[in-house]
Amino acid sequence: MSSTAPPATLPTVAEADADEGHAYGLWRDTLRNILRQRSARLGLLLIGFFVVVAFLAPVLATFDPDKGMLDLGEIGAVKRAPPCIHLLGCPADVPQHLLGLDGNFRDVFSRIVYGARVSLFIGVVTVGVAILIGTLIGLVAGYTSGRTDNVLMRLMDILLGFPSLILAIAIVTVLGRSLVNAQLAIAIVAIPLYARVMRSTVLSVREQDFVVATRALGESPSGILFRRILPNSLTPIVVAGTLGVAGAILDVAALSFLGVGAQPPLAEWGSMIGLERNQLFSAPHLVLAPGIAIVITVLGFNLLGDGIRDALDPRLNR
Amino acid sequence: MIRYIARRLVASIPVLFGVIALVFVLARVIPGDPCRSALGERATDEICAAFSARYGLDQPIPIQFLGYLGQVLTGDLGESIQRSRPVTDILMERLPVTVELTLFALLFATVGGILLGLVAAYRRNSPGDVGVMIGANFGVSIPVFVLGLILAYIFAVVLKDTPLALPPSGRLTPGLSVVPIAIAWGMPDLAGPLRAFLDFLSNMYVVNGLLTLNGALLGDALRHLLLPAIALGTISLALIARITRSSLLDVLGLDFVRTARAKGVAERSVLLRHGLRNALLPIATVVGLTLGGLLSGAVLTESIFNLSGVGRAVYEAITGRDYIVIQGFTLVIALVYIFVNLLVDISYAFLDPRVRLG
Repeated sequence: MSSTAPPATLPTVAEADADEGHAYGLWRDTLRNILRQRSARLGLLLIGFFVVVAFLAPVLATFDPDKGMLDLGEIGAVKRAPPCIHLLGCPADVPQHLLGLDGNFRDVFSRIVYGARVSLFIGVVTVGVAILIGTLIGLVAGYTSGRTDNVLMRLMDILLGFPSLILAIAIVTVLGRSLVNAQLAIAIVAIPLYARVMRSTVLSVREQDFVVATRALGESPSGILFRRILPNSLTPIVVAGTLGVAGAILDVAALSFLGVGAQPPLAEWGSMIGLERNQLFSAPHLVLAPGIAIVITVLGFNLLGDGIRDALDPRLNR
Repeated sequence: MIRYIARRLVASIPVLFGVIALVFVLARVIPGDPCRSALGERATDEICAAFSARYGLDQPIPIQFLGYLGQVLTGDLGESIQRSRPVTDILMERLPVTVELTLFALLFATVGGILLGLVAAYRRNSPGDVGVMIGANFGVSIPVFVLGLILAYIFAVVLKDTPLALPPSGRLTPGLSVVPIAIAWGMPDLAGPLRAFLDFLSNMYVVNGLLTLNGALLGDALRHLLLPAIALGTISLALIARITRSSLLDVLGLDFVRTARAKGVAERSVLLRHGLRNALLPIATVVGLTLGGLLSGAVLTESIFNLSGVGRAVYEAITGRDYIVIQGFTLVIALVYIFVNLLVDISYAFLDPRVRLG
């Protein structure tokens, strides 16, 4: 073989196209396309809002999220007190709690604020784990085809043979009730989705000329797989992953609601609702406040995911 | 067609086997002692040994698995550890509740979703369209349990004492009795599979009310079913509305639609016969996909509205470590799920003759 090795990073097809057109790079171009979508902008706005809330939680929270008013020395605290905002005409002699108190005399607003940290972390990490494993499986299955492909995809079919939440409950029962295990269960259940998306993308990408060319240049199979095919197969995964964050937040909240996810006293929105669901008729704010927080966060990721899909999927550009 | 169905059935055998194996393994590795959770903490070692022997828990795991496989293939799902009743009996009691709930949620989602999608696509970019799409975005973002609780609060507390009030839990108003269909039809001696089938239907109270012409039962069952079905079906409704709109917009932009309009076909017919008919394939896909979500959501809905269905039974069995029930129920749910997916695939052929089943 000749000693002149191929350059370490050949520009990908997409990069070459982008460079020819105008002076912007691929990333900047993509970002501009995404930001052109109204739903993506709105989604980013909502997510950004909760990211800021999560970062500034210690500043924004008016009380310790895990301690009751009795421990904090507030006199006259009422169990499950409704929201009291002085600016909106709540009597000044009643202590101010923007979203009221819960069954343990804890300030609901502060718990919601800290809950933003928990939910964002849950969403991103859970999907991250699922994507990592799912992508790897899809990559290997799509590239090797044949028997390996068959075995891997039948395994995925078995996971898909269950309604996701029921399998997740079963897994979490085996692993033990905790937030981490709930995340792991939701991640496992989500793996087949990413594996399938990745596999179908790889099947089309691996036949493209630049991959054939790389192979002709003597690149190793793993090099072809990770340096050529993977970077060019990421778009559908990015779309599925963004929408997946929304789903993961919903699913982990559902497990926590059922009591097999986040455990008290952690301020997690789903478990906040689960703990107070029987007080719905007397203290609806305890269900509404965390409920709305979940809806807005999930909405943000759904909108962003839709926007990215519309921006990146050429078939939808009309 | 028949060959295709047969091939699909054969192809799902390994998956079924995998599902059975996975369920078996999961049920075995759940931590905790089944004997003590069934008989209480004070059960002596001798009693527990007898208990294990009775349920075959003292056998090696592979032997247990083979035994279990043999049972399943003969339609025997074992006996509940906690309740000492055959799992199939419990299943016959619980499954109708979930089937009824899921079917109503699916009906609500499909009819509502297609209608909303039609309106949105037909009046594209109108306030109605924007409203439907905003609603759909919220619809896919609201957790089943939050929506269920909010609906229960609105219809049972805020609207209390108005004609719109709806019950927030249970399946029937206490005091209302349910007569099995077989007895209402004057066949109390009927036995065998037909009786089992009729009893299954009897436990779907809406169907029972219809078949026995029992208006009070029908009305009450429907009133109780409304909130859970809406709570469960909303996510699917939103997804179906979205796919209907985009799929219909695709079709309405095609040449043959322009031709139809040009030759003076009535707008209604263009929309329904030319448009919707050809837009149905993606809609059918989404309807099929949402079924898994509905079965998952049923766990939450049944828990919120106090319905004793399959989802809640699985949850109770898992918390009570009733292996046999977990195995049996999860297996049946997975079976139903796989079967439904097969039906969806086959339905493509009817909806679109261009799809060749190969």
